[in-house]
Amino acid sequence: MSNTNPPSPSTGSRTETFTCVRCGRTVGAFTPDGLRRNHCPSCLHSRHVHDHVEGGPSECLSRMSPISIAVPRDGDWKVIHRCTRCDELTANRVQVDDNQLILMRLAVRPLAQPPFPLEVFGEL
Amino acid sequence: MPRRNPASADRRVQRRKERVPRGDAFRCAGCRADVPFHAPGTAHRNHCPQCLTSLHVDRRVPGDRAAGCGGRMEALSLSTRPDGEWLLIHHCLVCGELSANRIAGDDNPLVLLRMAVRPLSDSRVPARAMLVL
Ligand SMILES: [Zn+2]
Ligand SMILES: [Zn+2]
Ligand SMILES: [Zn+2]
Ligand SMILES: [Zn+2]
Repeated sequence: MSNTNPPSPSTGSRTETFTCVRCGRTVGAFTPDGLRRNHCPSCLHSRHVHDHVEGGPSECLSRMSPISIAVPRDGDWKVIHRCTRCDELTANRVQVDDNQLILMRLAVRPLAQPPFPLEVFGEL
Repeated sequence: MPRRNPASADRRVQRRKERVPRGDAFRCAGCRADVPFHAPGTAHRNHCPQCLTSLHVDRRVPGDRAAGCGGRMEALSLSTRPDGEWLLIHHCLVCGELSANRIAGDDNPLVLLRMAVRPLSDSRVPARAMLVL
């Protein structure tokens, strides 16, 4: 049976699914390598179900859009989400089956509109 | 000597590049540089223009100064607003909280650019994704 919320971290079975609030896809709650999902692997959108400042569940429940990709020197890539209603920010691990094209498009987007001319830098 | 008072605000904005007196600057928690509060292009400076380090003083809203944490915040990644302006995503090294902050006119462009190209220079970059770009 399908649920409209991303699953809570501690409960649920491997057959559990949720429906993406952005693209409508029905998504398995777990990745192929057995990790619980936080966002839709197709469009990378999420839902504000957890209060990350106070802890515990959030009453917001609005859509969270991916706004940035963080590439730590060590550790996994992360998707930064921002809630479209209350602006809360979260960082969540990129999963093995996340849409790679959307990921890279998001990751290089700042370079498309640099605040200074890139020509002055030469080779980095 | 008072560190900040409203009467000195106007003078602070007008001041050009002479040496920064105490009270109009802060010591960066990352690189120890003396950083003037006034930043070109923004209402209040949020991070060091040289190393982009910030301090965890706001809670939910930029400028609310409601967090008791005081932890050091490092620049984690870049985002773009719909109008194309760059935002820095900071994360607190003490409590893990995230914040999004506008870049300032005097932020070090080389440091910003290194952050922008990091996804491309990372050896774990998905090859499949590079082919379709
Ligand atoms: Zn989706
Ligand atoms: Zn929210
Ligand atoms: Zn600094
Ligand atoms: Zn903190």
